[in-house]
Amino acid sequence: MNPPLKSESDLLEACGSRLLAAALNAGADAAEVCGSYAQKTKIGLEKQDFHMASSDAGFHLGVRVLKAGKQGFAATNSTAPKDLKQIATRAVEIATFSPENPNNQIISSKNVETQSKNSLWDDALFQLSLKTQQDWTKLLAEEAMRDKKFRLNEGSVEIGAGLFLIQNTLGTHKLERDTHAAWSLMGMAVEDDKITSFDYFSQLSRKASGVPDRIAKSIQSFTKGVIATLRQAPSKTYEGPVVFSPRAVIEIFLDGISYHLNGRVVADGIGRWSKKNLDTNVLNSKFSVRDLPWTPERWGTAYFDREGTPTSERAVLENGMLRGFFLDSYAAAATGMHSTGNAVGGPNSVPSVGSHTLSVDAGDVSEKDLFAAAGNEFLVVNRFSGQVDPVTGDFSGVAKGGEWWLGGERVCFVQETLISGNVFNCLGEKLMAISNVSEVVDSGAQSPFLLCDGISVTSGNT
Amino acid sequence: MNKSISEILERVALKSPAWAELRYHRRETQNIQVQKGMLKQLRSSVQSGVGIRALVDGAWGFSSTSDITEKGLEKALKLAIECAKGLSALKKASVKKLPAVRLARGEFILDGYDALRAMTLEEKLSHVLKTEQATRVASPTIQSASCGYSEMFEDKVVVTTDGANARSKLARNEIRVAAMASHDGEMAEGHRNIGSTGHWQCLFQHESLAQLSQTAVQLAVDLLRAPRVPGGLSSLILSPAIVGLLSHEAIGHTVEADFVLSGSVAAGKLGQKVASPLVTLSDSGQVPGWQHGGGDLLVDDEGVPVQRTVVIDKGILSSYLHNRESAAHFGVAPTGNARAWLYNDEPLIRMRNTYIEPGQTSLQDMIASTEDGYLLDGALGGQADATGEFMFGAQKVHRIKNGKLGEIFRGATVSGGAFDVLSSVDAVSKEFQLDLGSGYCGKGQPAKVDAGGPYIRCKATIGGKQ
Repeated sequence: MNPPLKSESDLLEACGSRLLAAALNAGADAAEVCGSYAQKTKIGLEKQDFHMASSDAGFHLGVRVLKAGKQGFAATNSTAPKDLKQIATRAVEIATFSPENPNNQIISSKNVETQSKNSLWDDALFQLSLKTQQDWTKLLAEEAMRDKKFRLNEGSVEIGAGLFLIQNTLGTHKLERDTHAAWSLMGMAVEDDKITSFDYFSQLSRKASGVPDRIAKSIQSFTKGVIATLRQAPSKTYEGPVVFSPRAVIEIFLDGISYHLNGRVVADGIGRWSKKNLDTNVLNSKFSVRDLPWTPERWGTAYFDREGTPTSERAVLENGMLRGFFLDSYAAAATGMHSTGNAVGGPNSVPSVGSHTLSVDAGDVSEKDLFAAAGNEFLVVNRFSGQVDPVTGDFSGVAKGGEWWLGGERVCFVQETLISGNVFNCLGEKLMAISNVSEVVDSGAQSPFLLCDGISVTSGNT
Repeated sequence: MNKSISEILERVALKSPAWAELRYHRRETQNIQVQKGMLKQLRSSVQSGVGIRALVDGAWGFSSTSDITEKGLEKALKLAIECAKGLSALKKASVKKLPAVRLARGEFILDGYDALRAMTLEEKLSHVLKTEQATRVASPTIQSASCGYSEMFEDKVVVTTDGANARSKLARNEIRVAAMASHDGEMAEGHRNIGSTGHWQCLFQHESLAQLSQTAVQLAVDLLRAPRVPGGLSSLILSPAIVGLLSHEAIGHTVEADFVLSGSVAAGKLGQKVASPLVTLSDSGQVPGWQHGGGDLLVDDEGVPVQRTVVIDKGILSSYLHNRESAAHFGVAPTGNARAWLYNDEPLIRMRNTYIEPGQTSLQDMIASTEDGYLLDGALGGQADATGEFMFGAQKVHRIKNGKLGEIFRGATVSGGAFDVLSSVDAVSKEFQLDLGSGYCGKGQPAKVDAGGPYIRCKATIGGKQ
């Protein structure tokens, strides 16, 4: 019996080989193909009801070429030989009139083994019937609407399988298969004339087993949290300590520092940190961040990166010390370092630099003690809707689903409350405490609660 | 090419046992990115396929394919019908029969498609390289600059079993210039982005490429030593770009009919006063008196000809934005707002060009009559909520004291209740600009939109320093 997606992987690899050959024929010195195949069925919910069932399958192929130090790139969703020849030729044409950039590289990872194989694949999920998917969606809808106060705006259960290929003329040839079940829910709570903010969550599973239980538990927890926010009252304007939830830490602080950890930003000298800052203190000594690419139950998992380089688990900030950057081959060449397997992206664009799955290390203070350390009266930011200026680290935005605490108790949820501050101050001298338990948010990044001082809180009610 | 595809789609549609919509979409994109003198990206991409939506027993099914042969389309149609059938037993409320409407037939071509295609990518690259260099050397405090250019050529054919057969072509382009200033360890970035529907010159019908570069440089230099703005409820004059953000985020999303049916703050408010009588807000496929808007459209992805929809008429909420399904629910005509990002996306209710109509006052008089407040310019991102609470970011905040412009502050976020803020409008300028043509709206899938308006004066809360 053929392995799953055998004909699709054969076609994908044949297209890859055809593209590489066509690129060399057209005059390229070296070429790299990124290809993918994805199939998915999705059952969507909308406005308290089933909305649409959909099915989609398709290939994407992109070819990057180097010719005399110049780079060209073209992509298509066609597997027809004439279209492949056309985009290979187009990529070489683009390279011909592009200026030379010595940092553009196509690298070989031919003899480098990647970590585990098939940990992202589950036969049971691949063979899941449409009926079972309908049952899971029905479960999601029933759990979401169990309490009449919750209004389901959108939700879905998606089952998918795919292939990801990196192949180049230097012998790199890597193919990964994955399956996923993903469910999401967006909605608000309504009671009489009170209406809450929208809230959203999503989760991922790579295996079929245990999904119904996870759907039920995650929906119950989510809707309970949204309904609680009906208890609204005005906040106050002040400058002082604010507690940031794991989601808020990810949305504000991890977004804010990621720019400065990007190797291409370092190479261009337009970030806060450079090579000379490595192994020196750049943030508060309580603060550590790691990139974890081998966590199958999270989005961002990858055993090799967009250039075929094996990924690895690594600390980028350790006890406030800068330990490394995110580097692809371009950033590595430009900075004189080695690729860290952080080339990201898909077949429709050239590789860029990014993290896989970021994780802020838990601290040594219980959540209870962290809240106590915030004082008598303070704001807890659960979600953030606003702007983080990646260059300066300044942030300003609305605290969504924010909690108002007084005398050691949550007294209400706030509306129209804005916060502003600076990422580097918050993660530097203003960082007061980190909780000892961390939380994975939307099957992605992970963080504990953070308590930071010096935040400006502006109430729209005053 | 599109004619032969429309014939294939019609043949397949004729065989459908249920209502079906077959939408061919070919998108060709080119992207250039130059930073600090280096070409970072130059790419070309083509994606094409057909998305098929079927309505069976009151339930929707959708399938897409890149196989554009008759056989491939028949297979996709069958799959869409199966998807719909499987869902119909689970659905509590059946989708009503779609309203009879004049559906588009023929060719719908927006100006500029062929002219943009005729200009070589090499020539566009040359402009981008020169602009980045000019920006980088414009001031000793500028440490780095970047310039990016993107274009999309869209070819679509929409065929429905109840009569639509629309072949459309349009080209959209955008250019982004950014300057980063640095001094004594402080950094600040300024950027100026514009977008249009049309050829290369359409981008520069109101500002030259050199002016865009100068604006980005001046903004970066101004912001370098600028302090953070004090937070609180203030009198604000919003620039056309910010008015566009307000129109799009605060009002536009809350009047999308699918959002209304979910319980948005606009639900049940048709015919009610929601804004100052000075405010008339529209969403339109083309804007009278303003050519080449970034969200221009002649026919939507359900084959409905687009129209100008007056959402707020002199302060009164007068219409929601509809697709055919929501129009059937509300018993009104569809407004041509159904749009899909790619062939494998289903059409959703999306905005096009959203704007407040100009008024009578001049900006100069508006500033002169403001005792204490701020002028906000340079649009950043924004979001709206079910409650009507919105937020958007401004790059630059200019103090107004005793009728005169004063100190410049760093950018900040502004928030408020959509209808409260529009009700507080007490002045609307005669100057008008669509200024968000480089913007994308996110709602599960992206959409190219534009927005703008005059300068307006209102009250809202700035999230600043305490």
